[in-house]
Amino acid sequence: MTQRSQMLQKISEISFAVNDLTLYLDTHPTDAAALNAFSKFSKERRELLQQYAEQFEPLCPDCVCPDTNNQSASNTPYPGERHFPWIDGPLPWEGGM
Amino acid sequence: MWLYEKRLQYPVNITKTCPKTAQLIISQFGGPDGELAASMRYLSQRYTMPCRQLGGLLTDIGTEELGHLEIICAMVYQLTCNLTPEQVKTAGFDAYYIDHTAALWPQAAGGVPYNACEFQSKGDAVTDLHENLAAEQKARTVYENLLRIIEDPQIKEPLRFLREREIVHYQRFGEALEQVKARLDSKNFYYFNPEFDKHMVSQ
Repeated sequence: MTQRSQMLQKISEISFAVNDLTLYLDTHPTDAAALNAFSKFSKERRELLQQYAEQFEPLCPDCVCPDTNNQSASNTPYPGERHFPWIDGPLPWEGGM
Repeated sequence: MWLYEKRLQYPVNITKTCPKTAQLIISQFGGPDGELAASMRYLSQRYTMPCRQLGGLLTDIGTEELGHLEIICAMVYQLTCNLTPEQVKTAGFDAYYIDHTAALWPQAAGGVPYNACEFQSKGDAVTDLHENLAAEQKARTVYENLLRIIEDPQIKEPLRFLREREIVHYQRFGEALEQVKARLDSKNFYYFNPEFDKHMVSQ
């Protein structure tokens, strides 16, 4: 497994936890344990998305930064050239994670 | 509004072309119990829900269903993206190929086009939540039908994930129904339409 796919898998796992907790909290909005878990995982998710975007392509619009994204210059038609990094990386349905 | 996140909710890595399987799985894109109908059902129902919490839950589940639609489409795409003319002819995918080549188009396994009549948005929270509970169970049944006849583990894994999500959504809708009932007259929960007879819903 490449470093890229390892990081992507971690983001998937943590995002799944955040998503599932969101639905649970929608119907149990005062559950203390779920609130704590949500805060913990959601913070971790933000950090992971940021780290991933610095090394590879940004996964969400809020992570897009032409000057700090994709420092490994992978999966980009413009290596070494200042460009819009939102276009970098494979499309999600292309597989090969 | 929505913001796109450039990843699948669950990874799809299918390496073996199989148009026949694609033709079956496409039902969970545009079929009667598919993910397109699921997302449109919840995202349409949410506006008139009698309490804010319920509108929020429908938004979040409807949004996740859009992600599931994307997983199903990624599976169909990967199963058909390297088709040879011979595979098109022999695998039962020929009729679909004539109209759509290998593009994604929402239809049921039997070829019936996607139709908004697959879901209801009835404007009664009790009615709509029962519709949603049934929809999650129907989708689970379809995933089980697919899992029973598909053998490739690369295809089974995401289908298993999607099946499990139907169960979680069923649970959440069940809880939501109890919460709506708690705000109605316990002597006769079903006598009023909580979305229309608003004075009967305790705030």
